[in-house]
Amino acid sequence: MSDEHTHRIIRLKRYENPPEEYYEEFLREFHYRQRAELLKPSLKTLLLERFSSLMLEFRVPASAYAGATVLALLASVAIWHASPTTSSTSSASYAVNYSQTPITIQKMQPVSLRVESPVSADQSRLFPTSYLLQARPANHESPLSF
Amino acid sequence: MNNADMTADLDTPLNNDKELVARTQGGDPRAFDELIVKYTPRLYGLVYHMTSNHEDTNDLLQDVFGKAYRSICSFRGKSSFSTWMHSIAVNMTINFLKKRKRRQHPSLNDPDSNIENDPDFIAATSNADPRHEISIHELQKKLNAAMAKLSHDHRAVVTMFDIQGIPHAEIAKIIGISEGTVRSRLFYAHRLLQNSLAEFRKP
Repeated sequence: MSDEHTHRIIRLKRYENPPEEYYEEFLREFHYRQRAELLKPSLKTLLLERFSSLMLEFRVPASAYAGATVLALLASVAIWHASPTTSSTSSASYAVNYSQTPITIQKMQPVSLRVESPVSADQSRLFPTSYLLQARPANHESPLSF
Repeated sequence: MNNADMTADLDTPLNNDKELVARTQGGDPRAFDELIVKYTPRLYGLVYHMTSNHEDTNDLLQDVFGKAYRSICSFRGKSSFSTWMHSIAVNMTINFLKKRKRRQHPSLNDPDSNIENDPDFIAATSNADPRHEISIHELQKKLNAAMAKLSHDHRAVVTMFDIQGIPHAEIAKIIGISEGTVRSRLFYAHRLLQNSLAEFRKP
């Protein structure tokens, strides 16, 4: 079978046609579909409707949506403020305050135990022998205070 | 108007299309209606012979014109309006066929009664098995079965060239391939069809 013969055989398919009135009806249907397309709700509207009907099944009151939105906003603000990277000034409030009055230690002489040479006979009768703290009488000042 | 008059219709002046497109782009929807009336028969044939299903053809053709209507403001006239429309139709039909994984039962149009007077029909039916007279519907079934064995791309070029009489150069512009590729696809498709239509071989 040659190409030309194949061409002539297949070409017979051109006689397969729809009814004559089909083409008149086609334009009317085109207009109908275009108008139907305009009436079709957008995807966004469809999703909102489906979400609303789903919530209705759970009997969630309308006021709950507003409350949930407010709570979500408050939580977002709280988390944002609590974040350590969000503010540089807030860190100062948590810093340790080292500006307190420092501890003062009064300088005192160390304690030493040694027996001093006894006093003369004459003085011994007036001043009985006593142990002296570093040739000085014991300090009767008030104890160390911090 | 039927597919048989398709080749003559290709010679209509392009100025008419340009004017109608310009009016449509200017906001006159009735101009687009005129384009629909003009192009529905030829585009119907294109889609129908690729799908072999009247209902699918109707839905697809509605989508083709819908897409063209929404896109017409971006049509810049780099190609002819005819090429542009055919390109939309071919691409949408091939995409539809690729998505439709399982082959649908064909829904064929009854052939025009004028086929009985066509010399090629007479020759084809006389070359077939003389013991069994082939009816028009049997021939139609065999032709559609042979076409169904072709790939979508091969069926497209056979439809446009063999059935609709569109020249190779125009087919190349419509599909976006070279003229040489069109010829090689036709050559390969004809080889496959010859195997399927062997009973109609000339003695």
